[in-house]
Amino acid sequence: MEREEFVLVRDTVRSLAPRYGVTSPDEVKPATRAAAQQALDDMGLRDLRRSSPPAATAQECALLAEEHGRHPLTTSLLGTVLLAPELLRLLGDDTSRGTPTVALTRELRFPGPESADLAAWDCEGADSALCVTTDGTVTRVELGPAAPSTDLVRSVRAVSPGAPVETVGRLTAPDQLRWQAYALVVVTAELVGAAGSFVEQAVEYARVRRQYGQAIGSFQAVQHLLADATVLVEAGTSVTRCAAWCLDNEPPERALTAARVAKAEVNSSALEAVYAGMQVFGGIAQTWEHIAHLYLRKVRLGATLLATTDELLPALAAPEVTR
Amino acid sequence: MDFELTEDQETIRKSVAGLLRDFDDQYWMAKDQAHEFPTEFYETVAGGGWLGITIPEEYGGHGLGITEASLLLEEVARSGGGMNAASAIHLSIFGMHPVVVHGSEELKRRTLPRIASGDLHVCFGVTEPGAGLDTASITTYARRDGDHYVVNGRKVWISKAMESEKILLLTRTSKADEVTKKTDGMTLFLTDIDRDRIDIRPIPKMGRNAVTSNELFIDDLRIPVEDRVGEEGQGFRYLLDGLNPERMLIAAEALGIGRASLDKGVRYAKERVVFGRPIGMNQGIQFPLADSLTRLDAAELVLRKATWLYDNGKPCGREANTAKYLCADAGFTAADRALQTHGGMGYSEEYAVARYFREARLMRIAPISQEMILNYLGSHTLGLPRSY
Repeated sequence: MEREEFVLVRDTVRSLAPRYGVTSPDEVKPATRAAAQQALDDMGLRDLRRSSPPAATAQECALLAEEHGRHPLTTSLLGTVLLAPELLRLLGDDTSRGTPTVALTRELRFPGPESADLAAWDCEGADSALCVTTDGTVTRVELGPAAPSTDLVRSVRAVSPGAPVETVGRLTAPDQLRWQAYALVVVTAELVGAAGSFVEQAVEYARVRRQYGQAIGSFQAVQHLLADATVLVEAGTSVTRCAAWCLDNEPPERALTAARVAKAEVNSSALEAVYAGMQVFGGIAQTWEHIAHLYLRKVRLGATLLATTDELLPALAAPEVTR
Repeated sequence: MDFELTEDQETIRKSVAGLLRDFDDQYWMAKDQAHEFPTEFYETVAGGGWLGITIPEEYGGHGLGITEASLLLEEVARSGGGMNAASAIHLSIFGMHPVVVHGSEELKRRTLPRIASGDLHVCFGVTEPGAGLDTASITTYARRDGDHYVVNGRKVWISKAMESEKILLLTRTSKADEVTKKTDGMTLFLTDIDRDRIDIRPIPKMGRNAVTSNELFIDDLRIPVEDRVGEEGQGFRYLLDGLNPERMLIAAEALGIGRASLDKGVRYAKERVVFGRPIGMNQGIQFPLADSLTRLDAAELVLRKATWLYDNGKPCGREANTAKYLCADAGFTAADRALQTHGGMGYSEEYAVARYFREARLMRIAPISQEMILNYLGSHTLGLPRSY
């Protein structure tokens, strides 16, 4: 994508925020969700990764995910726009219809050897979910009823155990690595965006909130906390963008390693950064009305999404050939 | 609960602090830089009668508990002497515990009064290059030969061996593959360091340079049977008795060095003026120091609990290990922050905190690493499967 074109796409995603970004969990209602998703769907971004070669690089997709994560949006950018179309592209399937998202385990990890015990993740506007089992088989499953989730803005739906499973295709071994790496990068990028945005909001609050006759941002303890959080966000940003670059430029094994490093790092640094931001907001961030817990929920759940750090570190410690 | 020290314990603190007032930073810096044993300090402590603090009265000591010993070592480290000072006397304070409990009457009469008076320097010979903290894997072997044992092997990280007359030496008298339990077949000796048979080589190291850490090459060392501590094959069990007190004393030393560091950091933060005000007025300086105070205070409480439990004959493995873990961390963190508070000056030897920093770092490794403490707590206290 040309730079100007990409900036336009990113600004389009950004433009969703003023109109559809929620400012309180009470605003998350089916009608508002549907309207926001419709606005996203109208942008026609699903084709970004649908064609071969794809119109958008992995790096551009990661930047879009990062932008999306900056705002409390209920839209399914990751599931229906970036992840499921990528799967279909890797399968060379250009005939599928509908709007699939991705299916994960009920713990929201990569599925195991069977298409069983699944949940459809990020499924606002989706009509089915694609599941990749460990041997690379991709199946399509129907969506069940809405499932409760810690992340209040993201839609998750159950997949009924008896629901029909349709085989869509099978990924080659390298494509399976690419898929995992891509999924990790996109999810991680969204966490980086969320943490970065929340820290920026905390910085802004520290400028305006006054105590003892001065802005709390004038206190070193607050300043340093935010500076440390910024360092965490920057580290997470760099490692994630590097992983995205690897997806575009390196063999899939390398890309997967870089993606695992990024997710392992951001799982903790994004959370730490949000903790720091919440500390700066003080009591107000503990209230239901405040936006803080929406970010906290996203990164807290995000730290377990696809793979936890505890799961990634042993994989990274293993010799490359056995990973 | 009673958090107050007894009058006698307070007296120990004050007396030791008073006794060591003359051994200032200049003294310790000079000893550290010259790699020279602090003989004047050692003789002062011995002259004050402190070395025999835990040795039973019938052998010339005071027969006091671990609480008192920990207060002594904490105060010694806190005086600014840090680990150079503590290590110079550490073994005399409680290292002879296996001899006190399991040694023959003759061995005790022959050695303990001399330890209490300071006349006899001893070192501890357990760790080996191939064994590390896995003590059951030592290979230094003692072969019985009439009324002697003949010992061959290597030891490493033997503190104060250069300055010592005797060594409390752990050997194997049965090889590991000859015993059903790996910890069986080890025998402990308290014997002379025969320089013709033991080659001692100091290890160049990062800090605590007034007291050597050494590698020992033992070649046909002949040890008379009467130097054996207790029964043959029971050496490991004898050492186990002393492990918890050892943890607590090390914790006390780490705590002392942490307190000394914090004192220095706070003093400098009050005196040093930058941007027209004392640097301690900056939250970035003040808060880490205040945080260290809380960590040192919390660590101290666990240590006090641990020594109280031990002195009252109660199980204390959890508390002793926790105390070592927390004190080592709090001590090191305080030293690190004191150094940071001093800025560039912290890096100069003149301000002493660089010395504290190097020595405090040691406490997270020796005599047992923080990770091994967690192993203990994980498996023994929490009942989780042994991870190593």
